[in-house]
Amino acid sequence: MTRGEPGALDLDKLFAARLQAARARPYLATALFALHTVESRWVPTMAVDRHWRCYVSPGFVDRTPVEELAGVWVHEVSHLLRDHHGRSDRFAREHGLTGPAERLRMNIAADCEINDDAFGDGLVRPAGAVEPEALGLPEGELMEEYLSRFRLGPHTQHLAWLDCGSGADGLERGWELGPDGAHGLSAQERDAVRFRVAQGITGRPGDASKGWQRWAEEVFHPPQPWRQLLGAAVRSAASGPGAGEDYTYGRPSRRSVAVPGAVLPSLRRRPPRVAVVVDTSGSVSDTELGSALLEVTAISRAVGGRRDLVTVLSCDAATRVVHPLCRAEGIPLAGGGGTDLRSGFARALRAHPRPDVVVALTDGQTPWPSAPPPCRTVVGLFDRSVTRSWDEEDPDYVPEAPPAWARVVTIGRTGAAR
Amino acid sequence: MPKRTPDAPARALRTQLDVAGELMALLRDTTTEPRPDTQLEALTLAVAADLPVLLWGEPGIGKSAALTQLAESLDLPLTTVIASVHEPSDFSGLPVVGDDPAGQGVPMAPPDWAVRLVRAGRGLLFLDELSTAPPAVQAALLRLVLERRIGALQLPPGVRIVAAANPRSSAADGWELSPPLANRFVHLQWVHDHEVVVRGLGGTWPRATLPRLAPERLAQAVALARRAVCGLLAARPALVHRMPSGETRRGGAWPSPRSWETTLRLIAFATAAEASRDVLSLLVRGAVGDGPGLELLASMDRMDLPDPETLLADPAVAELPERGDLRQAVLDGVVAAVRERPDRSRWDAAWALLVRAVETGAPDLVVVPATTLATLRQGDWDVPPSIEALAGAVSISRRAEQAAARAAVATKARR
Repeated sequence: MTRGEPGALDLDKLFAARLQAARARPYLATALFALHTVESRWVPTMAVDRHWRCYVSPGFVDRTPVEELAGVWVHEVSHLLRDHHGRSDRFAREHGLTGPAERLRMNIAADCEINDDAFGDGLVRPAGAVEPEALGLPEGELMEEYLSRFRLGPHTQHLAWLDCGSGADGLERGWELGPDGAHGLSAQERDAVRFRVAQGITGRPGDASKGWQRWAEEVFHPPQPWRQLLGAAVRSAASGPGAGEDYTYGRPSRRSVAVPGAVLPSLRRRPPRVAVVVDTSGSVSDTELGSALLEVTAISRAVGGRRDLVTVLSCDAATRVVHPLCRAEGIPLAGGGGTDLRSGFARALRAHPRPDVVVALTDGQTPWPSAPPPCRTVVGLFDRSVTRSWDEEDPDYVPEAPPAWARVVTIGRTGAAR
Repeated sequence: MPKRTPDAPARALRTQLDVAGELMALLRDTTTEPRPDTQLEALTLAVAADLPVLLWGEPGIGKSAALTQLAESLDLPLTTVIASVHEPSDFSGLPVVGDDPAGQGVPMAPPDWAVRLVRAGRGLLFLDELSTAPPAVQAALLRLVLERRIGALQLPPGVRIVAAANPRSSAADGWELSPPLANRFVHLQWVHDHEVVVRGLGGTWPRATLPRLAPERLAQAVALARRAVCGLLAARPALVHRMPSGETRRGGAWPSPRSWETTLRLIAFATAAEASRDVLSLLVRGAVGDGPGLELLASMDRMDLPDPETLLADPAVAELPERGDLRQAVLDGVVAAVRERPDRSRWDAAWALLVRAVETGAPDLVVVPATTLATLRQGDWDVPPSIEALAGAVSISRRAEQAAARAAVATKARR
């Protein structure tokens, strides 16, 4: 380290800024200190690569006040923690995007995701930081959502110099040290640092912003697409033993000829009966409910339930969506009822013959049956509270969790957050 | 129809087939290049440790090809059984009715592949399409995987078991793994590497160098594995047994005493083979799941750090980690050790370590440990002269404080 030469990197200033950043955001300290600084005259400001090196322009450090540098530190480390390079690569692959212009767009979108809640509260917003507002976009969304909402044009011209490195948009730069360079973090080490930061946030959630709390909850367990989960749950319930395909002694096995005298079971399929109980208190959007209901009926038909084996029980609040859908799909609709889920279950189980699977679509603001019903149960739960888990400060608050005997799929939050 | 000589069409046919054969020989003519392959290394170690492995992967990405390579390198004959097309009796034995079933009973005869496997005494048994097998077949497989029995046959110890399954999203009509069956496997996510596939289709396939166990490291490996697992579980009893809850984690790895025992064995094997942390990470997360696995790896990282007492004993030659976050963890540990047993010489040694840290790395890391260490000072202890070297860190701290004050004013004004 050579200090004091003209044009050399002012490390003391840079580290003072890092110290301030770590004091302002203690939960990010591990990640901030894990970064390895590299002096570089090729970057306009500061940039990170996917191996957790931080490239710093000496000129930028010279002309920027310490408090703004602290903001830049937090900004750059956020790119890495939120895996913007991996998400950019995935987005580019899925949408067939190529070229530096698209990567610039990803850098801008990633910046928008970070900047809307990174600054303030002890951190100064660095000059020139992109915020969604400046592009006419709403706050609080994910990079992927921003990416589908804006294009490059005259209004983004002033951002063309923006360059946070391959850590932000996945595009390798010529001046980066690459995977073989010194002081890089391996994939496992990167995961370990991110895991420690996430643990710090979930351990003391009061300190972190809502955006960071959401990140910490989902970083190692990203929510999966509810469509697939609901499909898997309904399929598995409708085809489990006792409903659908299994071994039976009611028919001779195809192997009986080979083993005379022995009784072997044979594989047999019985189409399952599916009853869908729709119970909402009107707070669920029509689109959500409609798509969930369509999904359930399509799946249960696919596993062998014929159209006449799918029954829908609606409650009055949901009539507007359920009736037209059932008419269009040719699904029998079995009467309305109260808004109590228990009556819906009772009505479904009174049917003859009894259903093999009950699928309940509900927002959970309802009493649940006290005993498990005598058939498989799948609950499609419309999630109404994003940060329900942190209401524990209120001792009277009892979350109305669905009972343990049901398989629960949370509907409505499609998450690509990583 | 004109009359042909009898051998003319035969020759024409043969030459066409010959040409086709030549073309295929050209297509098969590929070379290999050495290339590290983390997932194949993980698979090899788990198989060497005689733990049943379950490969999760989309159809057609080379799970079977990997098994072929593994069988070759371990010099084991490969037996593939497609679980989904078999009946439970294929794994629990087919009843054979003799002359006097009431007197002699009905023996359960094993299928031919099992007999051949037992006769060979060694081999790699590959159960493909596990997740699409009906529950009754899965139940029969449970016995095969756990007790290594097929009907009346006992699989010899030289037989290793690997299974493969398609993830739920791509299994057309998939059954899912029941938690007891899932808990017996080491789950490895099998993904294809775009670069490897493109290069392979171009004619160069990778050849992984497989891990070898070093005989002289065995005892040390066992000690390390025991220390790692017991250290974590002693501190976090809640991690010992946690059934999977919620839809997202169904059918995957979850922590239980059984899977922790698996983990212990995997750590010992990975250590004896000097496998990389990436390989160990795949194995551990595949045995107990992501969350507990990452916690174990994090606590193993802390185990790797130098012991505070060793550092305090001889600060002059102390080797501090290069990486900032680890270095700060070590310094924090040193200060905590002094706080626990405060005495003059330890306090001085800790200052010497902080000076060493400032001289060899970023000064901002030292600020918090130095502040804490200063508060531990007791009555007649004099500040050591070496503390002069920390002046740089102090000025950085002051600079950060000033910047924080300015930032506080600025952000307040903005609101």
